[in-house]
Amino acid sequence: MAADVPVRESADQFRARARAWLEANAPRRSRAGGGGEVGSGAGLAGQRAFQAKLYDAGFAGITWPAEYGGQGLTNAEQIAFSQEARNFSLPVGAFVIGLGMPGPTLLECGSEEQKQRYLRPMLRGEEIWCQLFSEPGAGSDVASLQTSAVMDGDTWVLNGQKVWTSGAQYSELGAVLARTDPAQPKHRGISMFIVDMHAPGVTVRPLRVATGSAPFNEVFFDNVRLGADALIGERNRGWDAAVVMLRSERLTIGTLTAGRDNPLGFSKLRELAGQLDRLGDPAIRRRLAELYARQSAAGLFGRMLREEAMSGRMPGARGSVAKLAGAEVGTFSADVAADVLGDAVAGYDTPELAAVLTAIVAVPGGAIAGGTNEIQRNIIGERVLGLAKDPGVDRLTPFNQLKVGTQKRQGAS
Amino acid sequence: MSLILTGDEESLRDSVRRFVADRTPLTAVRELIAGGEPYDTGIWKQLSAQLGVAGLAIPEGYGGAGAGHAAMAVALQELGAGLVPSPLLASAVLAAGALLALDDMAAREALLPGIASGEAVATLALTGPAGAGPGVRATGAEGSARLSGEVAPVLNGAQASALLIPAAGPDGLAVYLVDGAAGGLTRSPLTTADPTRALARITLADTPARALAGNAASALSTAADLANLALAAEQCGAMAACLAMTTEYAKLRVAFGQPIGAFQGVKHRLADMETAWELGHAALRAAARSADESPADFPRDAAAARVLISGPYFTAAADTIELHGGIGFTWEHDAHLYYKNALSGKVLLGAPGDQLDRLASELGM
Repeated sequence: MAADVPVRESADQFRARARAWLEANAPRRSRAGGGGEVGSGAGLAGQRAFQAKLYDAGFAGITWPAEYGGQGLTNAEQIAFSQEARNFSLPVGAFVIGLGMPGPTLLECGSEEQKQRYLRPMLRGEEIWCQLFSEPGAGSDVASLQTSAVMDGDTWVLNGQKVWTSGAQYSELGAVLARTDPAQPKHRGISMFIVDMHAPGVTVRPLRVATGSAPFNEVFFDNVRLGADALIGERNRGWDAAVVMLRSERLTIGTLTAGRDNPLGFSKLRELAGQLDRLGDPAIRRRLAELYARQSAAGLFGRMLREEAMSGRMPGARGSVAKLAGAEVGTFSADVAADVLGDAVAGYDTPELAAVLTAIVAVPGGAIAGGTNEIQRNIIGERVLGLAKDPGVDRLTPFNQLKVGTQKRQGAS
Repeated sequence: MSLILTGDEESLRDSVRRFVADRTPLTAVRELIAGGEPYDTGIWKQLSAQLGVAGLAIPEGYGGAGAGHAAMAVALQELGAGLVPSPLLASAVLAAGALLALDDMAAREALLPGIASGEAVATLALTGPAGAGPGVRATGAEGSARLSGEVAPVLNGAQASALLIPAAGPDGLAVYLVDGAAGGLTRSPLTTADPTRALARITLADTPARALAGNAASALSTAADLANLALAAEQCGAMAACLAMTTEYAKLRVAFGQPIGAFQGVKHRLADMETAWELGHAALRAAARSADESPADFPRDAAAARVLISGPYFTAAADTIELHGGIGFTWEHDAHLYYKNALSGKVLLGAPGDQLDRLASELGM
């Protein structure tokens, strides 16, 4: 284990060690894609085994403190590892959420007992986590969530419904937001809890989306009992922790580098345009050139944010710029793909075209997941540019007097 | 290779930024425009002699600083933000770039030291992304050629003491050197959309010229890439100025009981402006790096940067007027200066469609 290495290695030495380890242990990124397929039974066991190998080799939790199983290193090593890993297809998709969101939140807001209990198994791939925020009536306006946690003796009783939960069907644990004081204004009566996804009263159902696949779930809580030690941070201060988590989510989504095998990527669409004999059309050539410019700029901006972070300037709310830019480039890519395909968009009979069509249909989801484009614009306007906040008629009103979601007021017809 | 600024680049940015704020604020630019002058010769002298900006991309052997194209891009970004009129683009970027890409040692030695110190102003009659002005023909032997025809618009064409003019000669395309005082040379200043950008129509009637040694097509192509980088840098700075100005106003101006920036109709357009700027800026930084460090990628990266900045800057400048409301449309407000600058800069040396074609061919399509 890395903890046994006596002398602190340089970032370059770390990079070389990471590269050598990846060469020996990780599958190369193939043109055909795949590798990180999440959720299938055999794939999941393989992912757990791979995450454990990563941990044993000293490449899990690179920036996390050593006392909780991390490596206690800096952003420089984290970036070096991510850059080296880009050429490989690491089968660790199931751990992205836990390590990216609940993990850092526990590090920042969790109790000492929680850190000791949960972080190491998370890093070793023994416990998979999901994040339970969105509800049918609380999407962009997550703070209007209605799932409730009520104290009964020395335990909490959790009731409500969550939606858009990735990985709930195979997660051991979840970080859930619930309302603990409905008499407070909406942001002030929310708490965050750790929930055992196998506890009695937890029901997980797959949620089928526009593409026909079911990458998300609906989760129902029916009188689920949580111990007093399940509370993350302070009671009624869960919104602060949620903001931390949402910010890392946007940055994660926004700076995901589209792989070579992305069916809407410039290289793939250009190849397709060649096969369909469309490159002679000057309009198509211009569209593809613009696609290249826009896709590469989104990647370059992500790189700038990482370089700034390494030099000490944290991205903060500028993660929302990355998220918005990524979603808009996605929309543009789908548009260009449709131009390249022409009437094959309407009817096709090859697996390659089917992959492009699935990707086109998936694009609108990118403008919603992790906060809609409009929510990102609000965040950019208010937290990056410093413009006045939305008047927010609901900010000071007790939650139990607000209208939320699409519910009808009691007594209204 | 890092995209973010190095320590040296940060100091250069700070000193040019200070210079613009202290010596050539927009109030001074307005006075200059009102007087009909193409640029302030005093400011140009300080910019080139004191700050050394004109010699940034010229090697030390020719009197420059040898700091590279990325350093020049940093300076241009600040000058662009202040809409500072100067012959920097014409002389220190285009003419110097073409001279360094050609192989004519005598011309380099004669012209580059003056360009680097700012004492001489040269220009290159580059009018499109591909270069060659087909309107000029050369006759006669190389050393004593004669040029006839016309070319427009030429940056600082009426002020330059030396003009580099691409022309079709007996041996194909070549770049010719024409003295500003040569016989048969007529330079008519054009009425410009952007009062900070001096342009002229150059007419040649049996004008004596000397053909410069070197591969003209490739040198003009390099000059076009440098023009893309330089314009992208200026526009990136100018777009940042529009964003800052409009954001500031959206915080101050109150309507319907709150600052207008609280309304999503205003807030979201500013968020889009910020996002477009970040993307263009990232592309600019990549192009500036490849200019010095990976020349094979430079034509592609420079065209991509231009594509991502020229159009969005124009949109930002138009939004700047609109989001300010009536005050933004007045002569006294600076918004129209940016709008005209964006309008002109979008099409100069290759309009967006031309840039996309250039990018497509660089990408092998």
